[in-house]
Amino acid sequence: MRSNRVKLFAVLACVLGLVAVACSSDSGNDTDDNQQDTASLLDEVRDRDQLICGTRDDLTGFAQKNSEGEFEGFDVEFCKVIAAGILGDATKVEFKALGPERFTSVQAGEVDILFRNATATASRDGREGLAFPFTTVYDGQRMMVSGDSDITSLDDMDGASICVVQGTTTELNLNAVLGARGISFNPVLYSSHTELREAYQAGLCEGYTADGSALFVYKFTSEQAGGPQQRILDEVMSKEPLGAVIADGDSKWEQAVTWVMRATIQAWEFGLDSTNINSYSGNDVNILNFLGRNDFDPGLGLDRDFAINVVDQVGNYKEIYDRTLGATGLIMEGSYNRLWSDGGLHYAPPYR
Amino acid sequence: MSTTSRDDLRSSNLNPSSQGFTLWSDARTYRVAGQVIGVALVILLIWRLTNNLFSNLDRLNISRNFDFLTQPTNFAIAENWGFDTSLPRWRMLLIGLQNTILAAGGGIVLATILGTIVGIARLSSNWLVSKISTFYVETLRNIPPLVVIIFFSIAVFSSGPFPVFREATELKLPFSDSNWLILSNSRIGFPSFSAERNISAFWLLFAMTFLFAACMWAWRTVKSSKTGVPHRRVQWSLGVFVVLLVLWFFLLNGPYDWSWPSRTENGRRLASGFGTSAAYLSVTLAIAIYTASHIAEIVRGAILAIHKGQGEAATSLSLSSYQRYRFVILPQAFRRIIPNLINQYLNLTKNTSLAVAVGYAELASLTQTSIGNGAPAPQSILLMMCGYLGLSLIVSLIANVVNRSLRLKDR
Repeated sequence: MRSNRVKLFAVLACVLGLVAVACSSDSGNDTDDNQQDTASLLDEVRDRDQLICGTRDDLTGFAQKNSEGEFEGFDVEFCKVIAAGILGDATKVEFKALGPERFTSVQAGEVDILFRNATATASRDGREGLAFPFTTVYDGQRMMVSGDSDITSLDDMDGASICVVQGTTTELNLNAVLGARGISFNPVLYSSHTELREAYQAGLCEGYTADGSALFVYKFTSEQAGGPQQRILDEVMSKEPLGAVIADGDSKWEQAVTWVMRATIQAWEFGLDSTNINSYSGNDVNILNFLGRNDFDPGLGLDRDFAINVVDQVGNYKEIYDRTLGATGLIMEGSYNRLWSDGGLHYAPPYR
Repeated sequence: MSTTSRDDLRSSNLNPSSQGFTLWSDARTYRVAGQVIGVALVILLIWRLTNNLFSNLDRLNISRNFDFLTQPTNFAIAENWGFDTSLPRWRMLLIGLQNTILAAGGGIVLATILGTIVGIARLSSNWLVSKISTFYVETLRNIPPLVVIIFFSIAVFSSGPFPVFREATELKLPFSDSNWLILSNSRIGFPSFSAERNISAFWLLFAMTFLFAACMWAWRTVKSSKTGVPHRRVQWSLGVFVVLLVLWFFLLNGPYDWSWPSRTENGRRLASGFGTSAAYLSVTLAIAIYTASHIAEIVRGAILAIHKGQGEAATSLSLSSYQRYRFVILPQAFRRIIPNLINQYLNLTKNTSLAVAVGYAELASLTQTSIGNGAPAPQSILLMMCGYLGLSLIVSLIANVVNRSLRLKDR
């Protein structure tokens, strides 16, 4: 009898929960419409004197743990860029490796910022309450097959098993692109690249689809290690602007992190890098402003010398790229990840 | 309920005429007040948390409704049963629930059979049999189920002895070109039936035959209790059922035919037969084998709990070992087994969510995918919780009905 009552209560609670969420969907919106009295995350991070940065630990080149257990990679460097720019010290970062639930962690405020090669999309920006302040890598989805496979284009893949990380735009693109060509396939889904690679190596799937950058890095590192030859098909299936993710509705935090990241591009454009930024002796007013020497403060809530901290402690964009993605086989030449003046897409608005 | 009535009695004994009685001197007042305050605190806490959730969702501009359920899914799923990706999200979640039920159902059946055999084998007088069962129980019971699942997925299937699907091993039937089994590290092909002709007529006759067999069962039971002759109702009704069914099958010119497993020309998918993914098999076998180790202990415990005299009495009636178990020990042991078995079934059902680790498209895995692809997390998780709650309640409801029908009846 008693256990039945408990069960009944559990069911009731569950139903009530559903009803409560459903009913309240329209009621509260007009009363507290994004009126924020709470302090900005910028002040909170400064008070804490530490940045909590969401990333991953399974993707060579972008973010993984090295043999000493430290995080390393392109996304990890950008976490350090934010810490250097806002706290003046690139080491004041606590890294959190996140899985497919990465956006929930951002929404819940569990991490201050996310660098986990996440693609900016309209519904993530809109419905999911996220903001994408800066694109760090312009990428596109590709397909990799084994070097001895008879597959030469996506059209040969009818009925094939394809490995893809679950809960990603990659999954949606794959379905859209192959669906449009009338190709049916069998998805093999795992929550991390580590598991996916094991499945791919074991032959559970003939194709492995992911952002081109991730595939080129995988191909390079596994062939370097003496693994079998891989081939990446020519077709580019999508646009994948990868970058920083923060929660919506905190413009102070958003503009601070945006301009910190832009500083890596601006320094690159000025020809400043970690070796020469401290010894700049020219008299270009734009550069002097950028270095905070003229008492110039655009009012972004950042220290005047934030750009010096970023470039001196971490580097400009090209240094970061070459050190991480470049060192694992992803060539910057010919990609969109060059300066606008060199035919690429990286372009920072003027700092004045 | 019994405690309350006893309290009532006791307090009325203490205050037979309620003289000098105040509300504050009555223990019941404090008890009731304590409960009211407790409930109020819980409600307050839930209200606070919900409010907090809502204001945070609003601050981040995240929807609080369930509209996402009617939007198209747009991503493909593995064990999809012909699922079209343009169908709405709720259909996708139902497929997840269906896959969970298939894994749990398969697991429950296998675990029960295996667990019973191992449990009895552990009590065997044969030294080897009992030691092997002890070893099985002691090993499996002490390994986390997730590890068992990953072991099956990696060591048995993906990196195990089987080739990739395009070079799958095909086991042929004798004197024939058809396969009866296709083995690979990602999909296993089994024979299935293909409907050929006279299907509705066959099922109509099937239903009638079933009814007839049921009548036969009832008739034998009644006859046995009236005259005392052995009822043999299983032999009678099953015999009639099978013989008639075979007869109908041939009279209707073979309504069903075998569909032997075969692969398409490019070797990438099954053309006929029934295919199961390695992920499903890993999950089902792993949780079945894991849970069986617990069920074996329950079975053993229940048998040991039966008084030794029962077995000795059976032996002195010169019942065989099989008869001793079938008619004396197991029927009594069953009553003790069922309540514990319910717990194991519930655990097994919940353990299917560990299938996320090997990419089996069950409820938890699809919910995760769905959240990653734009579904709001609080609502999705709530739905998933309700799904598992519902499933567990159904399992325990069925088991409770069985328990009620088997337990000792007061006469």
